[in-house]
Amino acid sequence: MLDAFLSGSGQVFAPDTLLYMLLGSIAGIVAAAIPGFTVTMAIVLTLPLTFAMDPLQGIAVMLAVYVGGYTGGLISAALLGIPGTPSAVATTFDAFPMARAGEPGRALSLGIWASFFGTVLSTVVLVLAAPPLALFAVRLGPWEYFSLIVFALTIVASLVGRSVLRGLIAGAIGLAISTVGPDPIMGRPRFDFGIEMLAPGLSFLIVLIGIFAISQLLSEVEDARSVRSGIALSTKDIEFRTWAVMREVLMRPVNLVRSSVVGVLVGALPGAGGSIANLIAYDQAKRGSKTPEKFGSGTPEGVVASEAGNSATAGGGLIPMISLGIPGSAVDAILMASLMVHGISVGPRLILDNADLVYGMFVAMVVSSFMMLLVCVVSMRAFLRVTEIPKWLIVPAVIVCCVVGSYALNNRVTDLYLLGFIGLAGYALRALDYPLAPLVLGVILGPIAETNLRRALMTDADWSLFLTRPVSLLLLIAAALSIAWVLWKHRKTTKNGEVSSP
Amino acid sequence: MQAAGPEEAGLEREEAGEVARLISYAAILAVSIFLFFDARGLPTSRWEVLGAGAFPQLVFGLLSALSGLAIVGSLRKLSLAGASGFAAAAAGWLRRRYLVPVIAACFGGYLLAIPQVGFSVATFVFLLATQLVLAPRRWTSFLLALVVALLFSFGLNALFAEVFNVFLPRGA
Repeated sequence: MLDAFLSGSGQVFAPDTLLYMLLGSIAGIVAAAIPGFTVTMAIVLTLPLTFAMDPLQGIAVMLAVYVGGYTGGLISAALLGIPGTPSAVATTFDAFPMARAGEPGRALSLGIWASFFGTVLSTVVLVLAAPPLALFAVRLGPWEYFSLIVFALTIVASLVGRSVLRGLIAGAIGLAISTVGPDPIMGRPRFDFGIEMLAPGLSFLIVLIGIFAISQLLSEVEDARSVRSGIALSTKDIEFRTWAVMREVLMRPVNLVRSSVVGVLVGALPGAGGSIANLIAYDQAKRGSKTPEKFGSGTPEGVVASEAGNSATAGGGLIPMISLGIPGSAVDAILMASLMVHGISVGPRLILDNADLVYGMFVAMVVSSFMMLLVCVVSMRAFLRVTEIPKWLIVPAVIVCCVVGSYALNNRVTDLYLLGFIGLAGYALRALDYPLAPLVLGVILGPIAETNLRRALMTDADWSLFLTRPVSLLLLIAAALSIAWVLWKHRKTTKNGEVSSP
Repeated sequence: MQAAGPEEAGLEREEAGEVARLISYAAILAVSIFLFFDARGLPTSRWEVLGAGAFPQLVFGLLSALSGLAIVGSLRKLSLAGASGFAAAAAGWLRRRYLVPVIAACFGGYLLAIPQVGFSVATFVFLLATQLVLAPRRWTSFLLALVVALLFSFGLNALFAEVFNVFLPRGA
């Protein structure tokens, strides 16, 4: 273990890796500071740049973008009242009033320190939880794995979006997309209809770039007025008081640890990332506070809870990815895909076969959080200008980056046509209020589900084993319960609506 | 004719959205039924119980069932009046977002042009055109758009070729 840790650390602390990570951290903060641009998009755009790097170097850079991105969302949340990313929604509740009350620097510094401690605490949990979970997971058979994926997809569908049925449909569309191309066991062609573009299957990364980035960019130009104007911001009088605020954050250990734990737990659930964690952490902090009436008026407690909560999902989401090969969120799915691009198979054996890579990832998480802190403390004033960049300048340039990234993956022009189709389909689904996270997770989990289902029945043709093996049964019951819970909640909400409506 | 109030307009929009979703459920149902039967023609293997078509059948069967359920749910929510106003509401929706089809068309043309004229030229034209469509009409915007277009077309091409050894399409 020590060997692997030292080897991983050696790779992360190489000067070129540190430099790329620093650039990644800046890119993450900048991307997430622009209202409407999510952490996921920042990671998607970084991905093609990492193809030429070593696996650990590439993943370390993406982790730096990830950690930086969670903090970047804070800038527009605090100064403009617009969350830069969905994971900073609860940050607006208190950081914005605090900034308007004449303390914008304090609001930003509180968020930065809370993000830093949230990430570090979540990494500690990750280091402690992932290896033992992986050791347990290697003993699971294909029956348990198939049931685990069923559970993961039902959880995703029930947590994301406004309609569980559309969530399930989106997840099933993802699974359906994964069936195009050669089948994973025998390699027989499926659903290509003689079209060259479909013959090798629909690449997960192209689907991801199309679904998340292109569709998001198209929706950014919906409002012609907002596209044509930047947001003017006065940054001259901001006083950050970095060290005084650090003490202020550390004086709230209970809130910090509670919010981080919420972030880790929510992050570890498939599909539930920072966008849910920040709201739950905020809610918990309000319930646990002696002065809940101050929440919403600019209390530091609220800023700390939201930012520690969303940043802690970074470490939490990596737990199922490293130990089970099941991504906790769309960002984790991209990290997983980037490892697969380098020929590394992701699953419970990852930590056994590539221990230096996994320990390197742990080190990279901690380094990334220090880097984010350093970058923010040194040059926060410069980042504030990012919010002034108008969308008309960014949207076309980012579309070009998506095209380059999609082409660089396989050097195939047909992939670009695929990107166009999937981007438009993604926009249509987004406009029709289908959640996109279950779809993306469906695409990545589809081949794993199919392989395990077929392997299970090749080992023993008896279907009932899915219900008689205890862990498999437990996971299937959990899947059924998650759907039942959502249906019950939906019925309760509808009933209340009927009673309250005149 | 009296203009609809904001609440009424909101309700109409909600109903039009539900009709659009109903159409999407029906399209998903039709495609999944077709692919379900198509998957039945995929070869089986003597080495395993399930063949290449079993998992797709499971997925498309599930998708058919889910979209069928969604259709039933949607039909229960809709009124005849709401459905009749769908075409007008959809046209209004599209009119409000007129920049989306414009940018999507530019994007489609750009993707088709890349293999013909090469990445650098196609990107330069695409960037300049879309930025000019989106930007406010000012000289500074035009100059900025020109710089960004040059940087992200010829500059990006050079960066990928020199640093990452990735050669973007050069054209026919």
